[in-house]
Amino acid sequence: MPPIAQYVFNGVVTGGILALPAVAFSLLWRLLRFPNFAVSTYLTIGAYAALVLNHGVGATIAVAWLGALVVTGLVALAVDRITFRPMRDRRPFSLAIASIGVAFVLENVVRFVWGNDFRSYDVPVTRAMSVAGLRIGREQLLILAVAVVLMVLAQIFLTWTRVGIAMRATADNPLLAAVKGVPTERVIAFATLGGGALAGGAGVFLGMDASIDPLMGGGLIIAVFAAAILGGVGSAPGALAGAMIVGIVDEVGTLVVPPTYKSAIGFTIIVLVLLVRPTGLAGTR
Amino acid sequence: MTEMTRREILKASGMAGLALAAPVTATAQSKEPIPIGALSPLTGAGGSYGPDMQRAVAAVIERINKAGGISGRPIQLFTEDDQTSAEAGVRAARKLIDVNKVVAIVATWASAVTLAVKPLCVEAKVFIIGVSGADSVTQGDHKGYIARTQPNTNLQGRMYGKFVVSKPEWKRVAYMALQTPYAQSFGDAFGGVLKGAGVTITDSLIYEDKKPSYRSEVTRVLATNPDLIMAESYTPDAVVLLKDIYKAGYKGAILGPTFAINAKFIEGVGPEVAEGVWNMDRAPLFDSPAYKEFSAAVPRGDDSPYAPQAWDQMTLVALALAAGKGEVSGTVIKDNLRTVANPPGTVVHTFAEGAKLLREGKKVNYEGASGSCDFDQIGDILSAPFIVQQVRRGKSERVTIINP
Repeated sequence: MPPIAQYVFNGVVTGGILALPAVAFSLLWRLLRFPNFAVSTYLTIGAYAALVLNHGVGATIAVAWLGALVVTGLVALAVDRITFRPMRDRRPFSLAIASIGVAFVLENVVRFVWGNDFRSYDVPVTRAMSVAGLRIGREQLLILAVAVVLMVLAQIFLTWTRVGIAMRATADNPLLAAVKGVPTERVIAFATLGGGALAGGAGVFLGMDASIDPLMGGGLIIAVFAAAILGGVGSAPGALAGAMIVGIVDEVGTLVVPPTYKSAIGFTIIVLVLLVRPTGLAGTR
Repeated sequence: MTEMTRREILKASGMAGLALAAPVTATAQSKEPIPIGALSPLTGAGGSYGPDMQRAVAAVIERINKAGGISGRPIQLFTEDDQTSAEAGVRAARKLIDVNKVVAIVATWASAVTLAVKPLCVEAKVFIIGVSGADSVTQGDHKGYIARTQPNTNLQGRMYGKFVVSKPEWKRVAYMALQTPYAQSFGDAFGGVLKGAGVTITDSLIYEDKKPSYRSEVTRVLATNPDLIMAESYTPDAVVLLKDIYKAGYKGAILGPTFAINAKFIEGVGPEVAEGVWNMDRAPLFDSPAYKEFSAAVPRGDDSPYAPQAWDQMTLVALALAAGKGEVSGTVIKDNLRTVANPPGTVVHTFAEGAKLLREGKKVNYEGASGSCDFDQIGDILSAPFIVQQVRRGKSERVTIINP
């Protein structure tokens, strides 16, 4: 039996990828007061946007990644304008259902344009390095590093910038914030743009780490949902911690439960958190 | 790429329809058409194969209708996409059975789909024949309404085992399988042959579908130091799994089914990861007259065995109906399948030859593009050749053919 450290490391990388959409999902949930299930499909959008840049235009993967941030942010913004904005006053449940519909539409647009084939970026697949008995992939390190940097940037943005503070104010009490002169719609637009970009960036990572297909993002929704609930809805550090825990438990769980039951792990986490600590790790609500 | 779009399939079925309406055959075919359904995956894991299978069925029907149809009645084809999903398959089958009133459904692919659709067919007395490998497909009380041209997993597992033990350098073998209805039974048959030859099974792991990474599964299996990893996968998971195996630094051999290790797989993982991966599958009968006619009628980019099987399935269904002396139903097909497929009888390779002999009251034995097409009592075929290939420089190359 290999050392458990290998499983933990694998889990940390999975967690790093999960963390980006989990943070976006969690913050948007708090701000707009509904779980936007289309967030995981934004990963797919990001992955395909980078694919077009990488294959079609011949951009390097770094440029393609930046392009994916922009494209996915804009797609998320467009989705918000077309679907969620006209429904702002509806019950959260209706919006959540609408977001599932959006996920279906986006997924099938991707399927329609690019088909069902599995694709990969024009980057060489490399063998893992061996460090102190651990197998560590170069892309994995890169993914982890960029994910951490993005998390830090997101936290700085929320804590120190005017827009970030306005976002938190709106999330806490939209009515009061509006009365105080916070431009609610503009704050929502910023958050949507940023959330979409985070998820799109994660999609490119997922495409580098695994493969690109129309279902790649949608399949992660349970894990993203679990990470957000576990971390406490609305907390960026909470979502990061939640994503890490979900990632690690998912991988280490392979030692205990048969791999065929891996999907059940995410659901189990959701159920346990809702039973034991419904506010999550960092939640206050 | 020979993949057929939905539109092309529509066109092809439309053309088949036009062929029916052509004035040349109008006198012979003034009677009501016989509806037949082709339920295949045009999308999902089987999306590489379904389009060719439906083209094969459409091509056979065109020939049957040109040859005068079944006792003067033309065949009308209804095609559906099962999306390689049991739910979508059931919806499509309901439509074929309830709306189109088909007497037979041919060319099903995934075991999960065939198993889900089977009870509907048995209940409606509709004959169903496909290429699904799971043993449970032909098990249970199906009253003969189901058959398949794909070897059952027991035969498949034994053939894979036969190849593995022929390689003396493979002494430690790990078995990794996607969770499917056949993962266990295939592994048992495969493992049985290996154990009999003194080969060690180091680990046996069944994994879940649609995971972005199989790193931890790979970690567990590699800890057992295998010389060969037998990966019983479909393409989507094989792409992720084999990349993870490569990234983990494994340098040993990998064997998988050709339906997973296909052109899409190679494109998905890139040539370095795919290099040297062994794959095997049931082979068509390359030298047979029926295969030659099939490949002229259905040009395609690979040698996969499914479209030839679909060709044979449609021919067998039509011959069985032709043996029914005017009566048309799923029951007629199941009652006459073995009469027209198995010996004794004059060997025939096409519907036209067979139908002519049947009209003269003679017995026929169809030998198809995919093999001799002889069925046992539960609907399994008795034998099939297997082809072994290896990926070299981004393309699967034929290494050898293994006969039962």
